[in-house]
Amino acid sequence: MRTIDTRGQQCPAPIIATKKALNEAKKGEAFQVLTDNQTSLNNLTRFLLDNKTKYSVNETQGVWTLTITKTTAETTQQRTEEYCNTDIPHFSQGNFVIAFTSDKMGVGDDELGNLLMANFIKAIKDLDHLPAKMVFYNSGVMLGRDDSAVIENLREIEKMGVKMLLCATCVNFYSLKEKVHIGTLSNMYEIARAMASAPNVIKP
Amino acid sequence: MKIDLLQMVESGGCSAKIPPKQLEEILKCLPLPEDPNILVDFDTHDDAGVYKVNDDLALVFTTDFFPPVCSDPYEFGQIAAANSVSDVYAMGGTPVIALNIMMFPASKLPAEAYIDILRGGADMASEAGVRIIGGHSIDDFPPKYGLAVVGYVHPRKIITNAGARPGDALILTKPLGTGVILAGQRLGLASEDDVVEAKAVMKLLNASGAEVMKKYGIIGATDITGFGLAGHVLKMAKASSVSVTLNMKRVPLIGKTYSLVDQGCIPGASFRNLEYAEKDASFVPDLDYNLKMIAFDAQTSGGLLMCVPQNKAGDVISDLHSAGLRISSVIGSVTEKREKFLYLYK
Repeated sequence: MRTIDTRGQQCPAPIIATKKALNEAKKGEAFQVLTDNQTSLNNLTRFLLDNKTKYSVNETQGVWTLTITKTTAETTQQRTEEYCNTDIPHFSQGNFVIAFTSDKMGVGDDELGNLLMANFIKAIKDLDHLPAKMVFYNSGVMLGRDDSAVIENLREIEKMGVKMLLCATCVNFYSLKEKVHIGTLSNMYEIARAMASAPNVIKP
Repeated sequence: MKIDLLQMVESGGCSAKIPPKQLEEILKCLPLPEDPNILVDFDTHDDAGVYKVNDDLALVFTTDFFPPVCSDPYEFGQIAAANSVSDVYAMGGTPVIALNIMMFPASKLPAEAYIDILRGGADMASEAGVRIIGGHSIDDFPPKYGLAVVGYVHPRKIITNAGARPGDALILTKPLGTGVILAGQRLGLASEDDVVEAKAVMKLLNASGAEVMKKYGIIGATDITGFGLAGHVLKMAKASSVSVTLNMKRVPLIGKTYSLVDQGCIPGASFRNLEYAEKDASFVPDLDYNLKMIAFDAQTSGGLLMCVPQNKAGDVISDLHSAGLRISSVIGSVTEKREKFLYLYK
């Protein structure tokens, strides 16, 4: 049986040696690890327990011998659902900004552009990270109308904590003042500042 | 002769703290001083004590010192000083004056190393606007250095462990992994790049993060040091009587921290911190073992962890990024008190 001598070593060295041996061992193969340090022993057994690895310990004259058998880790599926069935907000906010410069996505057929934009806004909620802010200018402000096709999705994103800035000049220009009730009406300085301070600005 | 302080210690920085479980037992045996002017004491395991002078001024008082975390004496001085003033920032204060605390093996190291440590400390203190007005030294091996710092804070603007509120987002301002990288360095496993990055993280003052907290009127925060992210979050959850969820995949890491832990490079302090926290913590079953242990990695001069109302999180993040803390991100959230204080998710 292979023996790994970690006597005289302190953590994390014994764990590194043990992990390496575990990786190299075949399934069912056993090996021994020696340690003369109580703390290292405690940490090693804790490490093995947490990684669901079988072991036994013997002590002689201040030296512990761990006999470790490599088993295939069986993933414990139980209770995962229980953990996930919580109302904890799972989303996380990133640092990027999305700039809506038009109510359509891309350049081309208008109908397609509207459809793509609706799909894009729906997809934002499923991103790994939500944007820090979303800014709307020129015809982008149309998306924020009460009767817009995407308004429900936008409201939901806003509820998740994403700040929305709508260009007030644009809202006035398109005479939408009575029809926009989402986000904050904002000036160009705020919008420029939001974009300038973000590492990434996405323009759909 | 090239001086290498790391040769002298087995665990440096905040890894050298007394195990948290033991410390808690010890602190229980001590009477809490009673005085209406004491606004914060160790009852809530806060970063510093706060004493009210009058209605407009309170003093934040703290000390931290530890054995070397790097080879170079000057850099060690810088890191120790940045770490010492951090507690004042974490409480919403402005550090003002400090005393040097030095334990130095006069017979084992040349005086040059002594001077370099103090010079590093003085330069960092001066960057923080702190005047060092004295100190104390003892002949001792291995060397240890740090500051006792006094800061000002408005008595109604103190930021504490007890200020986490359900619905808050948790924002972390520095990446994790200093404990892992330093242990890896000692064993020759960490790359030079990772060590340089870890040192830069440790030398970075929490001053800019603290400015953002003040701007938004944040009331709950701590800095992440020896008890690891999960250990400090647990102390905060207990002090605030709330539960906290951490999403470990969202937590930014220094360089190759993850791959080092995957090789088994788990410092002893992580096991101590885990042991302290586990009775109050719940780990989602499919939580990656390496990420779990990273949550307990002892940090030296770690970042601020702030509790930010959800509707301000986006603004706070963009301000932190503008202030140069570009890895700042939301890594978890605060809920009403549930069965456990701490929930670790993937």
